[in-house]
Amino acid sequence: MKTVPARHVPALLALLAVPLLHAAVPTAVAIKDAHVVTISGADLPKATVLLRNGLIEDVGPNVTVPAGTWIIDGSGLTVYPGFIDALSTWGIPGAVPPTAGRTTGAAATPAQTTPAPAQALTQSNAQSPAEAEDAGRPNIHGPEDRPQTYSFERAADLITPGDSRLEAARAVGFTSAATFPNRGIVEGLGAVIDLSGERGREMVVAQPVGQQILFRVGGGGMGRAFPASLMGNIAYIRQLYLDLNQYKEAKQIYAANPSGNKRPEYDHALEGLAEAPRILLPADQAQQIDRMISFGQELKTPFVLYGAHEAFKCLDEIKQANVPVLISLKWPVAERDANPEDIPNYRDLVIREQSPAVAGMFAKAGVKFAFYSDGVDSAPDLKRAIKKAIDAGLSRADAIRALTLTPAEIYGIGDRMGSIEKGKIANVVVMKGEAFDDKSTVEYVFVDGTMYKPSKELQQGPANGGPGGRRGAPTPTNDDNDGGH
Amino acid sequence: MRRVLLVVIAACAAAAVSRAETILIRNATVLTITKGAIENGSVLIENGKIAAIGKKVSAPADATIVDASGKYLMPGIIDCHSHTAIEGGVNEGTLSDSSMVNIKDVINPNDINIYRSLAGGLTISNVLHGSANAIGGQTIVVKLRWGKSAQEMIMEGAKPGIKFALGENPKRAGEPSQNFFSQGAAPERRYPGTRMGVEEVIRESFAEAKNYQAEWKDYNDRVAKGEHPIPPRKDLRLEPLVEVMEGQRYVHAHCYRSDEILMLIRVADEMGFKIRTFQHVLEGYKVAREIKEHGAGASTFSDWWSYKIEAFDATPYNAAIMAKKGVVVSLNSDSDELQRHLNLEAAKTMRYGGMTPTEALAMVTINPAKQLGIDDKVGSIEVGKSADLALFDQDPLSNYSKCLRVWIDGHQYFDRDKDLETRPKFNEEKKQLLQKENAPATGQRTGRPVANAPGASEEAYR
Amino acid sequence: MRSILGFLGFALMPVALWAAGDNSVLVRNVDVHPVTGADIRNGAVLVIDGKIVEVGAHVAPHGGVKVVDGHGLQLYPGLINAATNVGLSEVESLRDTIDLDEIGTFNPELRAEVAFNPSSEHVEVTRASGITTVITLPGSGGRGRSATASVITGQGALMHLEGWTWEEMAIKPSAVMDMLFPEIQSGGGRGGFAAFLNQGATRSYAEEERQYKQKLAQISQFFDEARRYEIAKAAGAPEFKRDVRLEAMIPVIDGKQSLFVRAERERMIKDAIEFADKEKVKIIIADPRELGSTGSLLKEHNIPVVLGKTFQLPMRDDDPYDAPYTLPNDFYKAGVKFCFGTFDTEFARNVPFEAAQAAAFGLPKEAALRGLTINSAQILGADNEIGSIEKGKVGDFILTDGDPLEAKTNIKQMFIGGREVPLESRHTREFEKWMKRP
Repeated sequence: MKTVPARHVPALLALLAVPLLHAAVPTAVAIKDAHVVTISGADLPKATVLLRNGLIEDVGPNVTVPAGTWIIDGSGLTVYPGFIDALSTWGIPGAVPPTAGRTTGAAATPAQTTPAPAQALTQSNAQSPAEAEDAGRPNIHGPEDRPQTYSFERAADLITPGDSRLEAARAVGFTSAATFPNRGIVEGLGAVIDLSGERGREMVVAQPVGQQILFRVGGGGMGRAFPASLMGNIAYIRQLYLDLNQYKEAKQIYAANPSGNKRPEYDHALEGLAEAPRILLPADQAQQIDRMISFGQELKTPFVLYGAHEAFKCLDEIKQANVPVLISLKWPVAERDANPEDIPNYRDLVIREQSPAVAGMFAKAGVKFAFYSDGVDSAPDLKRAIKKAIDAGLSRADAIRALTLTPAEIYGIGDRMGSIEKGKIANVVVMKGEAFDDKSTVEYVFVDGTMYKPSKELQQGPANGGPGGRRGAPTPTNDDNDGGH
Repeated sequence: MRRVLLVVIAACAAAAVSRAETILIRNATVLTITKGAIENGSVLIENGKIAAIGKKVSAPADATIVDASGKYLMPGIIDCHSHTAIEGGVNEGTLSDSSMVNIKDVINPNDINIYRSLAGGLTISNVLHGSANAIGGQTIVVKLRWGKSAQEMIMEGAKPGIKFALGENPKRAGEPSQNFFSQGAAPERRYPGTRMGVEEVIRESFAEAKNYQAEWKDYNDRVAKGEHPIPPRKDLRLEPLVEVMEGQRYVHAHCYRSDEILMLIRVADEMGFKIRTFQHVLEGYKVAREIKEHGAGASTFSDWWSYKIEAFDATPYNAAIMAKKGVVVSLNSDSDELQRHLNLEAAKTMRYGGMTPTEALAMVTINPAKQLGIDDKVGSIEVGKSADLALFDQDPLSNYSKCLRVWIDGHQYFDRDKDLETRPKFNEEKKQLLQKENAPATGQRTGRPVANAPGASEEAYR
Repeated sequence: MRSILGFLGFALMPVALWAAGDNSVLVRNVDVHPVTGADIRNGAVLVIDGKIVEVGAHVAPHGGVKVVDGHGLQLYPGLINAATNVGLSEVESLRDTIDLDEIGTFNPELRAEVAFNPSSEHVEVTRASGITTVITLPGSGGRGRSATASVITGQGALMHLEGWTWEEMAIKPSAVMDMLFPEIQSGGGRGGFAAFLNQGATRSYAEEERQYKQKLAQISQFFDEARRYEIAKAAGAPEFKRDVRLEAMIPVIDGKQSLFVRAERERMIKDAIEFADKEKVKIIIADPRELGSTGSLLKEHNIPVVLGKTFQLPMRDDDPYDAPYTLPNDFYKAGVKFCFGTFDTEFARNVPFEAAQAAAFGLPKEAALRGLTINSAQILGADNEIGSIEKGKVGDFILTDGDPLEAKTNIKQMFIGGREVPLESRHTREFEKWMKRP
């Protein structure tokens, strides 16, 4: 608090007391004489950032601060663009509960306020609610029944400011997230949201920004609905894209020649797919990365990989493919409470050792990458997870970029967020000390211009790491090799 | 160079293919399989192919010489039925016909069983979908090029296949059973639940495929006439069946009982396709004549039996009976373990049915090559064929033999000496990794300790 | 428990398969491999009334005894598979044909021999590989051994693969007490059968360990109970009540019957040894998958081992590819006495190949053969009767055209108790029958 001029203290405290009320947001705040890391341009060792009406009105060493502006003395502080979680569930508290019928699925409002224990892995053995629902459906005959497909579901419709994780995320400096629904294999349309707002709809910055694919595998298919295997998942997505092409063509031909042609059937699932500007494909281990690069190219649709823990083995291939990659911050680590007799595999040990270095390698190789929280939700855990990549060779500057402008660019919204530039959304973090240093603290976070001052308690713990990421690293299932004999 | 290789070579990206060496393997007993055995023979490998074979073979000066005195050189072993290196499930058993799925999509080149099998002389596997349904998934022939990517393991010029399954396995999901699959939820019974139903599924699918073929023909005809019809939906389930009818894809049919073998032959006759191989085919000995007349091969187990009722009329003489009756017979593994010693499985046919050593080894080399339509490239030691070779310390039909070295396309993929040599280094490397992991991280926790959170947040960053 | 005299009594009874008195034979002009002594080229073996009476280079014909000319053949002791379920299991997938794994935690009173189906097809099939004797165990070994799993599955019987009834077949009906040592389930773990069934419901290691210790305590308590029972019985107190379950434990706690302890991993082996020490019982370690640091312990305690299949996949990805192949030699080098078993029914006949594979990877060939003959007999406490070609032993042997550990070798003739038994089986009959189909 020392850095804030005494005369402003009461007003700021008043603001902080009602952080969610936009009405209380000052029309203008100036962070004066701070070190500004703009990302898009040069670092400004001593500059002022002027925020007004939810936008960055100006930035530079010589900014004219209008009368009546709230002033924060930024000397000794650093201003960064707000961080973006590049693949998230923040804003959608808990898993969407299974609903009786698919028709009501999209409309189901998440009622839970605490995140449910994350179960589904990128390649999950666990049955998802959607899958349970599908398994109970009598008529999954194949891809044509669109099993586990929620391509039409919109994160934008599910967002609520009531998600308790938002506060923790802001406490590390996150102001935005690319949030996706989490049902089924084709999970729905993501939205980039700001982590503040009175209503969900106010939080949405851009949508749809993509379609997330999650392979759900297990059980050998006995008593479960198609698709139960990885190859089934892949074949299904492949068929969906073939169907999509045919759907588009059929609609076109029909529009031109309705007479004598049977009208193409309306397909909810394909509509959702058609709308997605890109798809996100799960790829954690080397062979999965290789597989998904080929698959993404085959689908002829822009794609992004997520996972990437073993990407240190395929730098060249990723570079050649020119594909953006989202790195999971849920670093693979030794299993807690493991049987001491179970010595981990060499490969797993290497992955545990090397995965935090992937980001640094990407930076050197020129691969476009960003980070995603992957179920790491507490402030100290997030901070340490990012620090781990820095300790493993990623420069701080590259780390900040991977948390700001790069994810914004990946989702095609680099023109409105991700850097401290005149005219962009007022998402900024004001820190004491350098970001992710152990001793650094987040002094202020501005989300859409709304100011927050995260408590020390929240920043330092106790951590509530939770049981693990919902988008955990895809693990190879070691199915009982029941080829049958 | 087991797992170390994994690190050194990018197992994901296309590794730079080193230029094939010129190698002369000298003084071996060369078991050509198709052209007899040559004592103190030599084999010259050039550009990944077998360039010369004989008692006296001259090699260029830069050739690498492998002295194989007292050792036995045989063609790389070929397994016509494997489920190795499949990631994320061997079966898509949810449907009666899951022909849209493709093993090619899920080959895991990092599966350690690839290396383990190389170490037993195996060089080629026909990797199949499981047997949970009447029409399973598409199959692929792989060469065990350990260290290469999935794409690079797929054998060039080998026709892909599709797995069919008859009998108990495909009808199991349709049985109201108490087996472990039904624990938890009571799964729905999936059609079919009888062998009759299995037949029906296959006939029905081919009938659909024929309609599908016609639909596309009609569409193409109309387009040709200048009309603007809406294209039919491209159906990944029916496409492979059309390919089967057009002879572009092999059918590998899992089966046990003689009735179902005969049944499939008659369905194939009716629908106008060929069965390339009957797999397991434990009662093939009862209908060897019909199998031969259809032109199918038989890929069976050396001596498996009694694990289920349809395997109770099995006999280890099956391979010999079918062979004696003119069927091309191979021995398969269906198992990551068994595929490590198919040469020893072959030896059993000498006891069970009196196969000659060459006939026995043919069942794991040239015969499976014939069944997979790759006998022009592999399966025997002949000039012009791929240099897929396995060197054994003694007669590979001896239970005391072991494999020493393996080449695929002239590249050495296994060398027992190197494996042994690398072990201490590997163990040391692993020990260091473990130590490093267990050591308290430096420079990480300089801040105050995280209170009240014993272990809770550990996994996120440790 | 019947004695060897009892057995011989049965063997001597005129219930033979062929003709009376057909359990005497002279095999001559044959290369004899006694296992316990030097090989004899062109030797002879004389069996009178089921027992070997003479072995040597020159054995005179014995009046009226059938003579078999073994020219060009090799004579070996009948092979022993020291761990099978033969006789109790017919078709693996059909529960009705399986008599393994009785319900209950402690079933020491169960006896495998009484359920041994002498007409099982597996008897003839197994025999065809030169195997004359098997141990039949009442437990399958269990898959995904859980805290609720059975511990003592019953008594394993040493059975001849010949006879009209199980009584005639039994050599040593209560040869071993089959015990599944508890196992700490590896918590979590990817895939695996347990994980497959209880998706996501795996317990922590701490919890597993707690349950494991609880289970060990439960076992100790059972042994205590048996000991108290024995004391009460000996005291002959009027209130003493007979209990078949505890009664069956007496030979075990008296050290007269070995506990056949299935222990796959290093820790289980160590804990089993500790347990045996504490309870002062005799044990055999069965089906170990690794030696680890247990070699000297096993040797010091003079604990023998029945090895499972050599043809297995290594336990861990990082293990050397040949780890299961070299395991028997690891035990050999550690000076531990061992023999071979298959712990199944279907592949019981392949036990010679399991031993040969070990020999391919370092185990001396003699040790491989001993692991199928004399070592097995010694470990199972039947070396007075079987396991080698020696005077006084039962006339169990095979005539072959080569090394019986080689698949390419043909087993030509088999004698059990001096009586020739056919090598035909369901498998050869199918062969004969269907070769005739036009």
